[in-house]
Amino acid sequence: MVTIVFKLSEMGTVSLDIDEPVPFSRVLQLCAQKTAVDIGGVIAVRGGRLISQEDLVHNGDQVDVFPAISGG
Amino acid sequence: MFSMLRIDTATETVTKETSDSLEYLLGGRSLSSHLVSEEVNPKCDPFGQENKLFFCNGALSGTNVSSSNRLSIGGKSPLTSGIKESNAGGIVATRMAQQGLRCIALEGTPPPNSGWRIVVIGRTGTEFLDGSFLAGKGVYEKSDLLSEKFGSKAGCITIGPAGENLLYASGIACSDPHGVCSRYAGRGGLGAVMGSKKIIALVILDDGDRKPDYVDQEKFNAAAKQIIKLLKENPISSKFTKYGTSAMVDICQALKVLPTQNFRHGVMEGAERINAQALYDTIKERDGEGKTQHACMLPCAIMCSNVYPDKEGHLLCSPIEYETMALMGSNLCLKNLDTIAEMNRIANDVGVDTLDCGAAIGVAMEAGLAEFGDDKAAVAMMEEIRHLTPLGRIIASGCKIAAQVLGVKHAPHVLGQAIPAYEPRGSKGMAMTYLSSPMGADHTFGFTLRDEEDTLTKKGKVDLSKKFQVIGSRMDAMGTCNFVRYSVRNDMTPLLDLIAARYGVEVSGEQFDDMVKKTLRIEHQFNTDAGITIADHRFAETFYVEKQPETGEVIDFTDEETLQAMQW
Ligand code: SF4
Repeated sequence: MVTIVFKLSEMGTVSLDIDEPVPFSRVLQLCAQKTAVDIGGVIAVRGGRLISQEDLVHNGDQVDVFPAISGG
Repeated sequence: MFSMLRIDTATETVTKETSDSLEYLLGGRSLSSHLVSEEVNPKCDPFGQENKLFFCNGALSGTNVSSSNRLSIGGKSPLTSGIKESNAGGIVATRMAQQGLRCIALEGTPPPNSGWRIVVIGRTGTEFLDGSFLAGKGVYEKSDLLSEKFGSKAGCITIGPAGENLLYASGIACSDPHGVCSRYAGRGGLGAVMGSKKIIALVILDDGDRKPDYVDQEKFNAAAKQIIKLLKENPISSKFTKYGTSAMVDICQALKVLPTQNFRHGVMEGAERINAQALYDTIKERDGEGKTQHACMLPCAIMCSNVYPDKEGHLLCSPIEYETMALMGSNLCLKNLDTIAEMNRIANDVGVDTLDCGAAIGVAMEAGLAEFGDDKAAVAMMEEIRHLTPLGRIIASGCKIAAQVLGVKHAPHVLGQAIPAYEPRGSKGMAMTYLSSPMGADHTFGFTLRDEEDTLTKKGKVDLSKKFQVIGSRMDAMGTCNFVRYSVRNDMTPLLDLIAARYGVEVSGEQFDDMVKKTLRIEHQFNTDAGITIADHRFAETFYVEKQPETGEVIDFTDEETLQAMQW
């Protein structure tokens, strides 16, 4: 099970069952399918570090996902 | 042909010039930096006769294109001693377009002991009026008086007591769509440059009758609709609409780069008390004049701005931005949105940059003048600026001067300008942007944070910063709001189509980026000619030797790497 916490989003927390490590981009696709929401650009953080679309997400991981905005 | 009004503040004479160069066509930072670099002696005294202030609107000003009425202000900065472009929203750019103006230049300085003047530009000409009735008043009162005299729809530009008194962190306030001078070109001390010219207000009347000309109106309208569609469909823009920039509090906390305790830490316990959700919920709960969405200019389809109400629902401050929430909040260990709003309101009223003053108060707290987390002391320090006490003057001179006077080594600035709200040791891409910007530490261009694969390594960050210095400068280059960039980040065609349909000038994406790079090049050249060296493009030494506790990182960039990021 991986837990994806979408911050500041109507998507809330999404849990996914995965059998093997999968790229984060795939995790996002699965979340979008499950919730039928257009996710857009994101900043994803696991354990205080950014993760990229190619990074593998493992069973038991929690990833916090933020809208990819900037300050002004 | 594009027009510039040159106003000589020494002789009170006005001349009009025209040009059809690409710089004039694009306007914005392309024009303001071009003019500063061509006309201002880099070695001049920022408060002397040779400095000039250029107010430029952009290529799409005065049209119905969303978020395209940004005002770029350029001159030599007293804060950095280099070139400065600082821009603001509001209605001034629109009023200039309606008067047929691309640029207004304030030149010269009047003789010593001259009184305050208001410059009023209207359809029938330009006049100089006595401005002494505004002197010493806060920006909110000035704004009311200007509205009373010239109408709430006039585009007004003014300065606060800080600018009148030549304090280095003074900004320039521009009127918003409600006639309140609350939209700031805050950075670099340009308010003090305006003060040095004894111009207390510049007013562009709402009697302009120039309508935009279009080479192909149909194509223009279609392209303008396309921009709205892109903004509406972009999920990031919709987040901006709901939360504005305040969403960065949680992001920076998660990445351990939220400035805390004078940039000693990157995480603040209790940050959720000042995050985007807290801001949104407070505004909703208090209702009244509060607004979670607000447009700083017309038209804007994103509406990222907000209006923060007090407990009774009356307007306390508009807008509150992430940078202020961090520099006047977490950086001082303050966890109360009302305190941040109060400090922001005072900053807007006395006419200072919230970033530089927030950073200066952080330095003052580190020096022991107050405890971190002391709300009352922080507000009192802002009040000292209003009363122009010695401490108030020090704070309103920015964090570099505050650190020098108060004996603090950990001074968070580059080139004299305070570091924006991303702890550089924990975000090496942002660190490289701060180091290599011609403006001093700046976040509005070169924003790498969302695209850094690993924020803690310097590997690849020179190239990443350079990539985003170009992407981030594109909007400034034509007077468009930076937040439009999310919708055209990979393809500038929609905006270039608008330029083609309006002016009949085809500019390719590559040509546009060449123009952006040329602007960066001339800005760096101005700084070199002003005597700024690579040794000035450094953080305080403490950032290189003291590890950020949460990441264990120090700044490890060399001067050579910084120089690479400055080559265009
Ligand atoms: S997006 Fe925000 S800053 Fe940009 S024009 Fe709209 S309200 Fe102003």
